[in-house]
Amino acid sequence: MIQFNSLSKRRGSQSVLSDVTFQAMPGRVTAFLGPNGAGKSTSLRILLGLDRPTTGTALVNGQPYNRLREPLRFVGSMLDGSGAHRSRTARHHLDWVARAGGIPQRRVNEVLEQVGLAGAGRTRVGKFSLGMGQRLGLAAALLGEPEALVLDEPVNGLDPEGIRWIRSLLRGHADAGGTVLLSSHLMAEVAEIADDLVVIAAGHVVAAGTIPQVTGGYSSLEDAFFGLTGGEEARR
Amino acid sequence: MRIGNYFLAEVGKSATLPAGWAGMAVALLGSLAITVLNAFAVRHAAVDGTPEMVAGTSAFEAGFAAMPIVGVVAAVVIGVTTIGSEYTADRAESGGARQITASLAAAPHRLSMFSAKALVVICFIVVAAAVAIPGNIALSQAIIGDVGTETVSTADAVGRSLGTTLYWVLMGLLAFSITALARSGVVPLIVLIANGSVVSFSLLLTLVTPLAHWLPDMAGRQLFGFPSELVVEGGLAPVPGAIVMAGWTVVMLVVSGIVFHRRDA
Repeated sequence: MIQFNSLSKRRGSQSVLSDVTFQAMPGRVTAFLGPNGAGKSTSLRILLGLDRPTTGTALVNGQPYNRLREPLRFVGSMLDGSGAHRSRTARHHLDWVARAGGIPQRRVNEVLEQVGLAGAGRTRVGKFSLGMGQRLGLAAALLGEPEALVLDEPVNGLDPEGIRWIRSLLRGHADAGGTVLLSSHLMAEVAEIADDLVVIAAGHVVAAGTIPQVTGGYSSLEDAFFGLTGGEEARR
Repeated sequence: MRIGNYFLAEVGKSATLPAGWAGMAVALLGSLAITVLNAFAVRHAAVDGTPEMVAGTSAFEAGFAAMPIVGVVAAVVIGVTTIGSEYTADRAESGGARQITASLAAAPHRLSMFSAKALVVICFIVVAAAVAIPGNIALSQAIIGDVGTETVSTADAVGRSLGTTLYWVLMGLLAFSITALARSGVVPLIVLIANGSVVSFSLLLTLVTPLAHWLPDMAGRQLFGFPSELVVEGGLAPVPGAIVMAGWTVVMLVVSGIVFHRRDA
């Protein structure tokens, strides 16, 4: 389980997050939805220990990420793309991630196969398309066979076939009892796949619940998104 | 266990990064070229009976001449790229991501990871030194043969080689610390390479104030052990100089390590 408890973050005089509280439960796909700049990435970065909150906590199974003994076995993550250096090959990238995480090297071949990059292992990441980069990021996230997946805009850059593929991958992960938390700025994109929605705008959680709960009372998904986030936009 | 995993991961990163090998190539090929030129000049002077045309006919000195500049450039490249590569932005259309995100997700204990990286810098530079220094001296001896007059004793040769290795390691770690603070390799690389090869700002500064002899690159320069007639006068003796330079390095590592630990990635 992933928990955000009263998370606040200030950068200088600017409030980036304020009192963000929600959970992502095992067996469910939770979509973290909001316009660009709403605070989705910052929340996920705090969860993974990349940024520090001003107040509040973000926990994985009740512990901060950097206290986990073998973090890659609990949480597989992908934040803005693959995170691979462009002059390294896909396989070399996964090699060092596996080493750092104490994961056997045989997993590298397995995840390359799983994400459909088995033939591109020796290609430099700089030559990858956006979609291939996303697949490589997912491969790294899957290395440790983690219980939870935390993915920032995972559908970005994927072609229709890739989108279909990632949906079934994430659905399968949740159905097997895993936790999936993904962020997106497109309501229609996540409505197909998510069980739970958390909507954030200007650093505040403005709605949370199952999809019918969040979108009830609106004539379309799009109306729901703008209805929930637009008020905050107008106030800026 | 954890630091061991981190260390192996960092070795893998550096070994699969073309820029890291550029540092090694500079150390080996650059010094090789200079040594060949030097050694042939010394050999010709000795054979022609005009030793006054060169500073001396010692094969050690001829093979060693490239070490201060070329070796320091190599050490700087290794130090800078080891951490600078973490902050290289990916292509904008791919989100402009930087590797540091993936690195800290895989290795969230930042001080362990920072230490593992520093250790990798030391290892790569020691390997470069272990190949480049004896290799160049052997090459120089092979070219000059017995037409030259060796003026450097074996004990001095070993001492100066070890001193040089220490200087390279400390310069590499200083470059590493500065890059960690700057979160980019470009500016540290340009400034440190220019200072180490083209124009030594620290050396110029000694003309203004003797305090500049306490700057790290000036303090340690006697570690190369060049005869006093070949170098600018003044400055610290080898051992105090090494201590001052090591002190700078430790302070910079501690400061950059604390900053790396505390700031948002």
